[in-house]
Amino acid sequence: MAVTFVQFMDWLRLTDEHVIEARSELTELDSAIGDGDHGINLSRGCAASSGKVDSEKPEYLDDMFTLVGMTLVSSVGGASGPLYGTFFLRFATSAGHRQELTPVQLASALEAGLAGVVQRGKPELGDKTMYDAMQPAVLAFRNAIKTGDVAEAALLASRAAAAGRDATADLVARKGRASYLGERSVGHIDPGAASTALLFQSLAEALA
Amino acid sequence: MIGIVVVSHSPRLAEAAVELALEMVPGERPRLAIAAGVDDLIGTDAARVAAAITEVASPDGVLVLVDLGSAVMSAELSLEFLAPHDFEIRITSAPFVEGLLAGVVRAAGGASLDEVEREARGALESKRGHLGDPVETVPVAEAGELSIDLRLHNSTGLHIRPASMVVMAVTPMDATVAIANLRTGSGPRVANSPTSLLTLAAQRGDVLRVSASGPQAQDALDAIRALVESGFGEADAAAAPMPEAPARIGPTRGGPLGVSPGRAVGPVVRMPDPLAAPILARRLARPARRAEAARIDKATASVAAALRARAERVSGEAREILDAAALMAVDPTVLSDARAAVLDRGESAEYAVWSTVEVLAGVFSAHGGRVAERIADLQDMRNRVVAELLGRPEPGVPVQSEPFILVARDLAPADTALLNPAVCRAIVTVEGGPTSHTAILSRSLGLPAVVSVENALDIPEGTMVLVDGTTGTVTIDPSEVEVAEVEAQVGFAVEFSGTGATRDGHRVQLLANVASPESVEAALAARAEGIGLFRTEFLFLDRAQAPTVDEQVAAYSDVFAAFAGKRVIIRTLDAGADKPLAFVTLADEANPALGIRGYRTSWRRPDLIDDQLRAISIAAKSQSANVQVMAPMIDTPDEAADFANRCAEQGLGVVGVMIETPAAAITAPELLSLVDFVSLGTNDLAQYTMAADREVGDLALLNDPWQPAVLRMMQLAFEAGAAAGKPVSVCGEAAADPLLAAVLVGFGASSLSMSPRALGHVGELLGTVSLSACRRAADAAAGARTAQAARAAAAALCV
Repeated sequence: MAVTFVQFMDWLRLTDEHVIEARSELTELDSAIGDGDHGINLSRGCAASSGKVDSEKPEYLDDMFTLVGMTLVSSVGGASGPLYGTFFLRFATSAGHRQELTPVQLASALEAGLAGVVQRGKPELGDKTMYDAMQPAVLAFRNAIKTGDVAEAALLASRAAAAGRDATADLVARKGRASYLGERSVGHIDPGAASTALLFQSLAEALA
Repeated sequence: MIGIVVVSHSPRLAEAAVELALEMVPGERPRLAIAAGVDDLIGTDAARVAAAITEVASPDGVLVLVDLGSAVMSAELSLEFLAPHDFEIRITSAPFVEGLLAGVVRAAGGASLDEVEREARGALESKRGHLGDPVETVPVAEAGELSIDLRLHNSTGLHIRPASMVVMAVTPMDATVAIANLRTGSGPRVANSPTSLLTLAAQRGDVLRVSASGPQAQDALDAIRALVESGFGEADAAAAPMPEAPARIGPTRGGPLGVSPGRAVGPVVRMPDPLAAPILARRLARPARRAEAARIDKATASVAAALRARAERVSGEAREILDAAALMAVDPTVLSDARAAVLDRGESAEYAVWSTVEVLAGVFSAHGGRVAERIADLQDMRNRVVAELLGRPEPGVPVQSEPFILVARDLAPADTALLNPAVCRAIVTVEGGPTSHTAILSRSLGLPAVVSVENALDIPEGTMVLVDGTTGTVTIDPSEVEVAEVEAQVGFAVEFSGTGATRDGHRVQLLANVASPESVEAALAARAEGIGLFRTEFLFLDRAQAPTVDEQVAAYSDVFAAFAGKRVIIRTLDAGADKPLAFVTLADEANPALGIRGYRTSWRRPDLIDDQLRAISIAAKSQSANVQVMAPMIDTPDEAADFANRCAEQGLGVVGVMIETPAAAITAPELLSLVDFVSLGTNDLAQYTMAADREVGDLALLNDPWQPAVLRMMQLAFEAGAAAGKPVSVCGEAAADPLLAAVLVGFGASSLSMSPRALGHVGELLGTVSLSACRRAADAAAGARTAQAARAAAAALCV
């Protein structure tokens, strides 16, 4: 069953809502090990991108996600701006000039986004970054669509992201400003992994 | 004059740094632009960086200084937003404040982008020197105009003394020399400091790409070539053989070794050496990038077209594999990332494709499991595309229509899957031993093979050679008489007489393995005494539903008719593991070799086995062949009893089971009380006895029927057969090895079944040994400590 344009709109809307709800929580996480701006930056970015989508009313997936990516790049100050921006720009390229995607196409688009994050941030698993949540989620999605339907795959991806997010608590940060804290970063969940988990939670809800 | 862009999280920091820098240049100021903050908050914005670059654009180039973290990423991302342009943009790792100061001063003086960046990056030196830090600069060099590739063959590699000799040799010359290590992909490094060259970690056997520019470039290259070729004067270098892959288990090299018998003659075709990782010699200027990116599209399209064309010539699984590979060659993710690497970062097409795939492979391998298994496919595609870009021959086994002798350093399992025995007449390799993958594969294909031929790669392409896999010799430019002699025997190097027996007349039936009606002809031509293993999977593969009983009756009848009056052992469906069937095999078994396969599929689909037995029964009744039926992958007496009952229900008389698992070998006495015969499937028996996956090339040494543990496992079955007075036959790759065939006869094998091509060799050797010699060889082999010792002991008694 194809994932429709409306479902993708829902994904963005739900992400927007969840990030705004979790704003203080994200900021708290970031205050522990970073510069404390993740919640504010990201919610501003989400609000800006929702506003752009509302006003420009893109009709195709590539146009919509390019708009989202470019807006995030220009409105989110920290590292998550170029990282999420690249994620959505690559997602847009892979999705192509379509209005809906098959589960396999969606998996490819998510993989393209993930590869973009890898290219931009050069993370490795265990660096305590958003990649620790995003990588398992994207791979879980790809694996799950082989046997299950797309809603279930999104749910499994969401769980994988949440598990990846929780696992960052035990890690020592090796990338970003948190890496200056070294061992002191242990015990705190990475805010980027937390926002990535929200992204996949929203995808699961949009496709449910 | 170049332009300078300052990227910072903080507008105030950027403005202050710029103010500080401009105090240094009272006269003409370089073009400067700041990209700092996001909506007047702390942060960076790639779009602003792109705008700043556009603002100071200059044909001389733009240098981008960044503070930290997202500034770096935003600067990189900004390159994706810029319109096509013909000037270079370089993001530098120079320190933000010091680099800006040094850069502004140099830029105002009209220095080139290279000079400004070098100055900016070195800007910490004065502070370091003042505070007494050790200096540690390892500059990455640009490659020069002339270049040569040199292989290191002194024992220490490019260690400190040889590195110093290189530096001393080139320092007096008016030339800039850079050296890269093609194995590790490190470098190029400027050859002006020994410590810089040490970071190449170049070892013996590595190939160095040495490049030079300047008036004395050629002299410098000549000097380095002389040093490398003399082994830097090290005493052992000249005489020492080239290092090969680290020694693993196996015999030490002792010259050419015949590992698969037979003779063949033909022109040499070299398998291309594996590609080295391309190095990034220099970043391309903007104007050249579009054309370079277009090369990627052209190369991938041409690789995909070639794969598709090849897919059209084959069918079944091979076709799916090639079609999938063709699709992967034009994968949009890979293509867009590689294009971006060329357009944005000025990488060469080869480097861009290579590095993009490496990044993806990293993502895949992090996940492990089945995703990681796709890495090999990905890298295979990468190698094809990069070879196409470099104008090099396609990697892997060459595709030829005329007969040839394949010469390679070594064969990987993936290479051999595509080997076509119809045109590849023999195999000669530099590496490998008697139990290597090449040896096992060539024996199973019936191709003569000689391994461990040290100078094989020196034989020029196209040279006629005569390969004798029995004696282990390779003759270059054989005489006309020799060629005629061998060519007269093409097909079956040794004719089989049609009756298998030892020298003293002990009869051993030599039968053929047949996998389809088409291969029946080869079995007949080879004068097989019957069929010892008629595989029936060909009727079931590549279809969504099982064939009807009528369809099966027709197919089986044809084969039975061809062997009228002779023995034909037909095996029921052996699905699963390496032969998955859409309608019985689970799609996602974690461990298919240990999953629902062989006779176990009858648990799920008992109708399939009953239909098949009915069809065999009907076909057998209409023909005069002595039809016997056996089941694959039996573990327990209950399974054997179940099979015997089903056969009895269909009126089938002579019933057997295969012994492919340790469980079956150990319970052979019980199995033989329920059925009329057993047949050893040595490939799976080796796999399960040694717990070594047959599909994993690195395990080839374990997966060897000569392993004493495997021999003793077989011995259990033979002893049970002798006690029960029932026949034990062997079908499997082991029976095709003449020496092992003698051992199996010594154990008490009543018949041996093999690929038709092997019949002549096996018959020939058996005809020269006595039964008692076979028995002594069997005892010696089963009592040996290693596979090599088992083989050697048998050879000493039988050859």
